[in-house]
Amino acid sequence: MTALRKILITFLLGIVLLITSCGDQSVSRFDDAQQASTTKGSNAVVVESKSGSSFNRFFPASNNEYERVYTQEKKGFAEAKLKQNGKEVAVLSISDILNNPSAANKFKQSSNDIDGYPAVNQGKTGTAVLVADRFQVKVFSRDGSFTEEDREAWLSRFDLRGLSQLD
Amino acid sequence: MSKPIFELVNELPTNNITVMMLRSLDFVVPGEWQNIVGFENTIREVTGETDEEMIQQIGDRAVWLYNDKSQGYQRAMWLYQTVDRADSALGTAALANKVGTKIPLVGGLLNRVTPNPDKAQAIDLSIKLVVELVAFCQINGIPGDSIGDFVAALGEYSGESLMRMAALVCVDGLIPLGPDFILKAESTLSNLSPKDLTSNPTFSRVSKLIPGNNTGSQLDFIGNSFDSVKGWMTNFVSEKDLTPQKVLSGFKGFIEFSDNKLDYIAAFLDMTTNYYEHTGTQTLANRLIERALAEI
Repeated sequence: MTALRKILITFLLGIVLLITSCGDQSVSRFDDAQQASTTKGSNAVVVESKSGSSFNRFFPASNNEYERVYTQEKKGFAEAKLKQNGKEVAVLSISDILNNPSAANKFKQSSNDIDGYPAVNQGKTGTAVLVADRFQVKVFSRDGSFTEEDREAWLSRFDLRGLSQLD
Repeated sequence: MSKPIFELVNELPTNNITVMMLRSLDFVVPGEWQNIVGFENTIREVTGETDEEMIQQIGDRAVWLYNDKSQGYQRAMWLYQTVDRADSALGTAALANKVGTKIPLVGGLLNRVTPNPDKAQAIDLSIKLVVELVAFCQINGIPGDSIGDFVAALGEYSGESLMRMAALVCVDGLIPLGPDFILKAESTLSNLSPKDLTSNPTFSRVSKLIPGNNTGSQLDFIGNSFDSVKGWMTNFVSEKDLTPQKVLSGFKGFIEFSDNKLDYIAAFLDMTTNYYEHTGTQTLANRLIERALAEI
């Protein structure tokens, strides 16, 4: 009888564990962000940030080999694709750091610069510069043929000085 | 409160009637669409990054952006979700009746399907186009009434966005309305009254986000949108040499039906698929992740 009870208890405990673990399926590594960003008064984009359209003129132009196609323009952010012979090889962007101030931290360790602006590599495929402690300019490779040197070259083709004077 | 973006992307099905239908349309836009599901998986695909700390930062920022209502992403998601009229009970019944790899569209299943009259179908096609236009502008930030920018951007459509447009042309145009579907839709729109529009269920569902102060000006907006996208659609059909027969032979890979039931196959797919929601969620996730990558 005791043995049966033991089995029964183990079985019931098992069921309880199963049910709780099923309930836990919704736990996600992004839950904290979800909770913080849905708290009253929180926003991802602040009104003081620059309009995306104000960034467009600082992007490098198309040339014989490469075509620049604008793809997104939101508050504090503008993005363009860079295509070579019709194929996407890189993504170019400018964003206003006011909307995500912690993004500036990575430049504190920067030992490199592009045209005098602090530069860092980000992840496996990106290079970024910080302009006037306010704007991030980034190039991400979208094709293996587009190297770190290419990213640096294209970053210096942005009108970084012009961007530094945007107000 | 609306569902978190990571849940919406995590819950995308890996295989259902929508996915089968989209796969059968691969011949229209070869290799453009892979059914990428799962939020983290999408981050890895879009960015090519594997560093866990970076994936965390990108995902967190994407979640923040999606939840900021001023950014328009939730409106776009609502539009993609609402414009489809999927009947999940019918979809489940159809899958339960599967014989081998195919769904036989016969008997009881056939009786549950009501074909759309041409007029309603033409309105559905136009509304879906307008939904794409409005959602595109909400996601990418081009002001909501800039039809010209949208048409220029259509040429840049690729991946799941291009697949969505391919499905629109095939499933909501060619199959239900025939090879001259563009002319048919145009003539329907030109004879449409605001009252016709308000009595259309698809319009009623999404009308609050269609630009215009009243139904009359919304009707104008729909007409103008259709007018400016019809050239793109005409080229798409002729470049791909698309015919109803070609599309149907693709569908025969997963549905069994007789050729005199074309109206039914269109209605069946309309009722059992939500390809706007499915690929729209993928588009939204991709754009959010791109922006998050730029902003972290």
